[in-house]
Amino acid sequence: MRQEIREVQQAMARQGYIAEDEIATAVYLAQQMRKPLLIEGDAGVGKTEVAKVLAGLLDTELIRLQCYEGLDVNTALYEWNYQRQLLRLKIMERDGKSPAELEDIIFGREYLLERPLLQAITRHDGPPVLLVDEIDRADDGFEAFLLEVLSEFQVTIPELGTITAEHIPRVVLTSNQSREIGDALRRRCLYLYIEHPTLEKEVQIIRRKVPDAGERLAEEIARFMQGLRGRELYKVPGVAETIDWARALVELHRDHLDAETVEQTRGCLLKDQHDVQELDTEAVAALVEHALSTDTPAR
Amino acid sequence: MIEHDIVTHLARFAGALRDREIPVGLADEIDGTRALTLVDVLDRAEVRHALCTALKIQRRHQEQFDELFDRWWVTRSHRTDDRHPRMPSGRSGLARLQDAFWVQQGTVESEGAVGEGDLPGYSPEVLLRRKPFDAYTAPDLLAMERVLARLASKFATRWSRRLVPSRGRGMMDLRRSFRRLLGTGGELVSVARRARAVDQPRLVLLCDTSGSMDTHTRFLLAFVLALKKVARYAEVFAFNTSLTRLTPWLSAGKIGRTIDRLASGVPDWSGGTKIGESLAEFVSKYHNQLVDGRTVVVILSDGLDRGEPGRLVRPMRVIHRRARRVIWLNPLLGDPRYEPTARGMAAALPYVDHFAPAHNLESLERVISLLRT
Repeated sequence: MRQEIREVQQAMARQGYIAEDEIATAVYLAQQMRKPLLIEGDAGVGKTEVAKVLAGLLDTELIRLQCYEGLDVNTALYEWNYQRQLLRLKIMERDGKSPAELEDIIFGREYLLERPLLQAITRHDGPPVLLVDEIDRADDGFEAFLLEVLSEFQVTIPELGTITAEHIPRVVLTSNQSREIGDALRRRCLYLYIEHPTLEKEVQIIRRKVPDAGERLAEEIARFMQGLRGRELYKVPGVAETIDWARALVELHRDHLDAETVEQTRGCLLKDQHDVQELDTEAVAALVEHALSTDTPAR
Repeated sequence: MIEHDIVTHLARFAGALRDREIPVGLADEIDGTRALTLVDVLDRAEVRHALCTALKIQRRHQEQFDELFDRWWVTRSHRTDDRHPRMPSGRSGLARLQDAFWVQQGTVESEGAVGEGDLPGYSPEVLLRRKPFDAYTAPDLLAMERVLARLASKFATRWSRRLVPSRGRGMMDLRRSFRRLLGTGGELVSVARRARAVDQPRLVLLCDTSGSMDTHTRFLLAFVLALKKVARYAEVFAFNTSLTRLTPWLSAGKIGRTIDRLASGVPDWSGGTKIGESLAEFVSKYHNQLVDGRTVVVILSDGLDRGEPGRLVRPMRVIHRRARRVIWLNPLLGDPRYEPTARGMAAALPYVDHFAPAHNLESLERVISLLRT
């Protein structure tokens, strides 16, 4: 492996993120090629975390734009502070200023409320990391607008003129694939699909995130999770659930898995009523047995 | 520096990907080349990750990509022609459908001879609407097409959550009001407003083409085609014992060719049905990309199933959770004696928002109003 990529991997590990080779490679390439990185994958595999770690890695600010249906330019880019503008107008009412003078005053920068996209563009001290989270939730109209911002990194505000980015932000987009991201946006980015972690990686993650969990417990948890993901579930638990569960078990002072404990704590793992029903005593027993048998290969 | 032959090799590799219908454009090739300059070209795993990222290989193409990568980036063997094996064609039942469409087209051509509008001897529209599909004649079909076209254009309005400028309704739009106010020297003369935009629903249509549906299939397909014309996003699938995506073949104005391709493309037309298995295939391959909170999923089937009824529950539940609405159109429902006791149908019912008949035009008309809400 190339030295630089290994360094990215190690730096991410120092930030508490165990990155597989493909994740480190993608992050490195996105850095070098100055392209946005589009990350897809199941819920809870650590997509958003990549952006946070990247910000830590570059020692810069993380600016986050959470997408939702109906998100529009006003909320994403900028808005005028109308209350202040109106007050100012009232105060200046008797000054006898011409409309043009008035306009100059109340459309100044201090009346502008910067929203995440504009913040990312106008940041002075070095490039920030811009996280556009769950882009699949926004309308496709917004996606088209984002495309424009991401290619030019400049924004035109009619009252102020064009604002161009001093530093091109490092952009990370995440998607839960609740809908297909448009081809145009996809082409503009580099692409990374994050899988559920392998057994070895999951053990490492648990050890790292929940240091109080012993080696034995961590391995049993990871093995249990691998087995659980192999079953037909509506909501497959991700690493986030693994960590929650490990923490819960540590809180309960468990140093190994048994069927009873699993049944008591399965609310940490399964967030769907049907999945909970599916995982009956028999299924739990089978999974626990799988988790305890150290010689079975992962999946 | 990058070797010239690696660039060529990458271009050929991209060609091979495109042959497999994995979308890789010129811009992606450029990204790929740049990525190759940044990684250790001798480390195969690293090259694979880099190309995967730079060529934007999506999850569903991953397997094919890996397979091609293994072939292209080890031995550097020469390109082999790797076309998909053709699907076996089941022509017998399809020939009938094909005939139906030729009849339809034939009638369109002779339309000038009989004249537009009210034709003596034809069923008036009201009667036509109630006439069961299996009693239709060729001229009925033509009249139905016209009715359908009119109905279908009614379809397709729904309020979006997005706000757009509007006149006289909706919330106050401060930004625009404020700009107006400047022109009047600070006097608020009129208020600009924003209201929810009109959104087109997305449609996913799943049509049963098994033998038991035979008499209905062609009318329902005509209905589907009419809907496809007006809906901006419509995906059409046919299923019997397996699932076939029809959308790429259903572009407007190509009906004749469409039928030819359908003939060779849909295996086991008019054969048995395995609804559960077909829907499970839909869920695993297409559900994530095609169904979202704005999508109406329409299933056209009589629910007579040869598969295991329990297998229907899981995919139905997955679809129902994500889709805005699930509509099941059943031609048998037009018969007052029918009750959905077919085991598959009974298993699916809890996950269906509207269970409606689809045996004549009147019933389809009602469906259109369901699609709008």
